[in-house]
Amino acid sequence: MKRRNFLILGSLFGLSSHLSGKRSLLPSKQQKETEATIQAVQEHLFPEGNTIPSAKSMQLTQFLFETIGDQSYDRDIRAFVIEGAKELQIREKGRFPSLSMSQKEKALRAYEKTEYGKSWIERIMTLSMEGLFSDPVYGSNIQESGWKALRAYGGQPRPRTRYIAL
Amino acid sequence: MKYDVLIVGSGASGGAVAYTLCKAGYKVAVLEKGRLIQREEFSKDELAYCRRDIVTPNLFEEYHTIEEKVEGKWVATPTYESGWSFWNGNIVGGSSNFMSGMLHRMHPDDFRLKSKYGEIRGANVVDWPISYEELEPYYTLAEELVGISGKAEEHPYEPPRSTSDFPQPPTKENDVVKLIDKSCRHLNIVPLVTPRAVLSQDKGHRNACYYSNFCGSYGCSSGAKSSSREALLKPALATGNLTLMSNTYVKKLHAGKKEAVEYALVVNTITGKEKKIFAKMFVVAAQAHESARLLLNSANRYHPDGLANSSGELGKNLVFSAGGSGQGELHQDSLKEIKFEALMQTGFFVNRSILDWYFVDHWWDGKFKGGLVEFMFEHQNIISRARKDNEEEGHMVWGKALGEKLVKRFTQSKSIRFEIFNDWLPNDNCFVALDPTHKDKYGMPVGKLRLEGHPHDLKVGSYIAKKCEKVLEEMGAKNIYSSVSSAPPQNLVAGGCRFGNDPKTSVLNKYCQAHDVPNLFVADAAFMPTGGSVPYTWTIYANALRVGDYMVQQLKRKNT
Repeated sequence: MKRRNFLILGSLFGLSSHLSGKRSLLPSKQQKETEATIQAVQEHLFPEGNTIPSAKSMQLTQFLFETIGDQSYDRDIRAFVIEGAKELQIREKGRFPSLSMSQKEKALRAYEKTEYGKSWIERIMTLSMEGLFSDPVYGSNIQESGWKALRAYGGQPRPRTRYIAL
Repeated sequence: MKYDVLIVGSGASGGAVAYTLCKAGYKVAVLEKGRLIQREEFSKDELAYCRRDIVTPNLFEEYHTIEEKVEGKWVATPTYESGWSFWNGNIVGGSSNFMSGMLHRMHPDDFRLKSKYGEIRGANVVDWPISYEELEPYYTLAEELVGISGKAEEHPYEPPRSTSDFPQPPTKENDVVKLIDKSCRHLNIVPLVTPRAVLSQDKGHRNACYYSNFCGSYGCSSGAKSSSREALLKPALATGNLTLMSNTYVKKLHAGKKEAVEYALVVNTITGKEKKIFAKMFVVAAQAHESARLLLNSANRYHPDGLANSSGELGKNLVFSAGGSGQGELHQDSLKEIKFEALMQTGFFVNRSILDWYFVDHWWDGKFKGGLVEFMFEHQNIISRARKDNEEEGHMVWGKALGEKLVKRFTQSKSIRFEIFNDWLPNDNCFVALDPTHKDKYGMPVGKLRLEGHPHDLKVGSYIAKKCEKVLEEMGAKNIYSSVSSAPPQNLVAGGCRFGNDPKTSVLNKYCQAHDVPNLFVADAAFMPTGGSVPYTWTIYANALRVGDYMVQQLKRKNT
């Protein structure tokens, strides 16, 4: 199976390099072009007033871009996150962020029906949960709100830096 | 400088050989490809340790190719395509840093599997050249030295011990063991306390377990986990005889004459600089499949098919410690015997295993070698538990429904697992060779793994899985399932450099010394012709201590 197909169909394994660096590997143009769409998707998946904290309150979009821009993140998945957002924009004629809640639900359910779209939404879901439930050192799970909601807490000692920057 | 002994790899076996030689006064160099992460630098960072390749190489730079049968032909796929990494903890101390530490000795009959059970068609089973009696003192030494806690109990399939009990009592246990014990007894099954490579009491520079709830897959912050780094390399360093070289990748061993290795050609992984390191004796301990690869990559005019490969056996007959696994959920509203609050206590262990099906001799089921069962909670990683099973009727669950589902899962239930370990029968389609085209970033051919299991293994795994499901049912678990497949676990690999008495059919002699090259040893699990039905780690520690003892004798003889 070719790597691209493999990633699109979903991988059971976390792939990525171990080098750490502060400079984002994601061109700022790509972030600008897709940020509003990705943010709207995350806020739809993790809305306000839920039993678990919302995307907005946990700064999940900022977490997502910092995460995929890090050198530890798989380069092919990074590209897939951006491509999948652009595909959703094309499908919804660039209007996804301004759709009503029910229209967003309809658009995402339709996207989910495609193998590619389902894989992309799953990737956004994974990246969002990585923020919600990872250590607050990564900038989300603010005041451990994600952990408190599930009454499940990370172990001791906690990381002092991101990605074992020794 | 010429070292007495150069060791490639700092994991369980490299550490055990280094410890033995350094204590005996010999100058040892341990070469480790990865970096050093010290005890105080470890944390329980799920994102870093469990969801990114922080402690293993980037697969675009270093990888394997895996051969699978597609329409009758073997097709090799690089692991950077599939994501199926065959690296395990490439840091000082190796994968022993990240083990769960459920350790068992092999049974005496595991050393004579062929004599006991005869030929199995399509399997290359042979007896070991040593007996359990020869390894037993080293199992005991490992128990004391690296620190294995437990409780000696009577069982017909429990290997005999030369000491009455473990040096330390078992680690603290979650109340769920009461439910397991009662359920097993009701089914006439004998539950046993699992020996664990985790200290329940302080030992020298290492502190007792502090029950962090995140043990397997993580480095230990108290030193309780009996890793090579804590238990062996630290005391070896204290002798002043050990030179530990991290970030040092070994490209090949150079045998400038037929019967001796002269130096290791290494590259500093940070600077890229190459150099030669000389020693009197060499030990390869890079994890089974990588040890075979290094020897294959060390071919030269004296050893055209690879170092120590006059038998043609190098890389062949890889085996894995596998069998199957299963899981069920214990729910608050239907929990028996124990209080839900006690079940939800975090950190304590589920020290329970079953040996009842290690050997099966039944009027209906037949006579065959079975395996071991371990119980444990589902790994307590939060992101992975939150991320799984979020589909209903083919659709992803999100929004408020997702929140409710997660809160219910995390606060009203806990999942209990079993893992089965039965023999992986060695066969002609399970081996490592050199890939003819792919090279790693250092320019060395990567290992090509063909990984076919024997159908008999699946039958045994399925037989035991059904028994385990009954235990979970008796415990009152819901949504029980099990999975038995021929996909090997990449972290428990052995074979590829079989030991044996005949140089024509084995790579190593009974002391794990290369038949062809007397100053070359292979100390990791590569020596194992069969793997028993237990995780390999205790046997790796014990055997490497035995190999270290033999090397000390050899060095003494040379010096007199």
